[in-house]
Amino acid sequence: MNLSPRQHWIGVLARAFRSELLPHEDALRDVDYQLIRAPEIGMTLVRGRMGGNGAPFNLGEMSVTRCVVRLADGRIGYSYLAGRDKVHAELAALADAHLQGAHPSPWLSDLIGALANAQAERRAQKEADTAATKVEFFTLVRGEN
Amino acid sequence: MNAQRLQPAFVDPVLDAQRGFRGALKALAEPGLIQSLPAAPSLEGLAPATYALCLALLDMDTPLWLAPCFDTPLIRANLAFHCGCPLTANRKEAAFALLGEQDLLDLSGFDHGNDRYPDQSCTLLVQLTDLEAGRALNWRGPGIKTQRQVNLPVPQAFWLERQRRETFPRGLDVLFAAGHHLIGLPRSTRIAQEHA
Repeated sequence: MNLSPRQHWIGVLARAFRSELLPHEDALRDVDYQLIRAPEIGMTLVRGRMGGNGAPFNLGEMSVTRCVVRLADGRIGYSYLAGRDKVHAELAALADAHLQGAHPSPWLSDLIGALANAQAERRAQKEADTAATKVEFFTLVRGEN
Repeated sequence: MNAQRLQPAFVDPVLDAQRGFRGALKALAEPGLIQSLPAAPSLEGLAPATYALCLALLDMDTPLWLAPCFDTPLIRANLAFHCGCPLTANRKEAAFALLGEQDLLDLSGFDHGNDRYPDQSCTLLVQLTDLEAGRALNWRGPGIKTQRQVNLPVPQAFWLERQRRETFPRGLDVLFAAGHHLIGLPRSTRIAQEHA
């Protein structure tokens, strides 16, 4: 799947921990901005497909927090993330707005790079932990012809 | 995108939307009585009361017909963002219509509901400059004890147009808004022509 750079950083920001964004809070908020849509909590329906290609079914609902901010220069930042953390939603939206600037490089390398690395590490750790519990199932050939 | 034009709407989305809805209910329950919406936000081209009604009543299930005078990129972008309502050019499909004073003379094409579901009619949101500068008329009907004198500044031809389209229970409900105030005119209200 090909993600645009913005899809990538919005995903990284949504998966980040709040504790990882808080150190950047002062820098993110150090700008004139306005809440177009103040952080709000809602529900969304998660749907799945059996095997990835079957008929869609409703898996269940999950809580989602979203936020939209506008910086003084007109850039608009969006965030949608799982859970009920309004501070996280606001910081993620601010980061999205900053990242759309003419020179996004400092934010992209400092913030998104570090967050993405931490997430890759967590994911690898989890996959390694899971791999250790893997069980190989096999079926004995039955005696019938 | 129209992102540059987006502006904040309600300060408290839940309570302010409920206040807007309550205002609309009261306006239609007591026709002709002025209701106020003090906390409404404003948007260039839309009065605070009009905008508050839009924010409270419109969502993705309510196609909106926009009169040409309100059809600006700013209004389109903000309604799409905050309400998510589809805009329609076809009056027949509209669940709500946003009209100015000059659009009152031709109400053709709007859905009047049907005898089984008169509630499915189109509701008109009409923005005026003022609610009390017109000729005095006496309103009667449900929600009014005997009669109520209302000075709505709308052209005489509007009352004839409304009367021509009235086939109770089918008909059009109208909410007039100006500034922070609104007046409801449900289809059941009868207007006495005599008197001044």
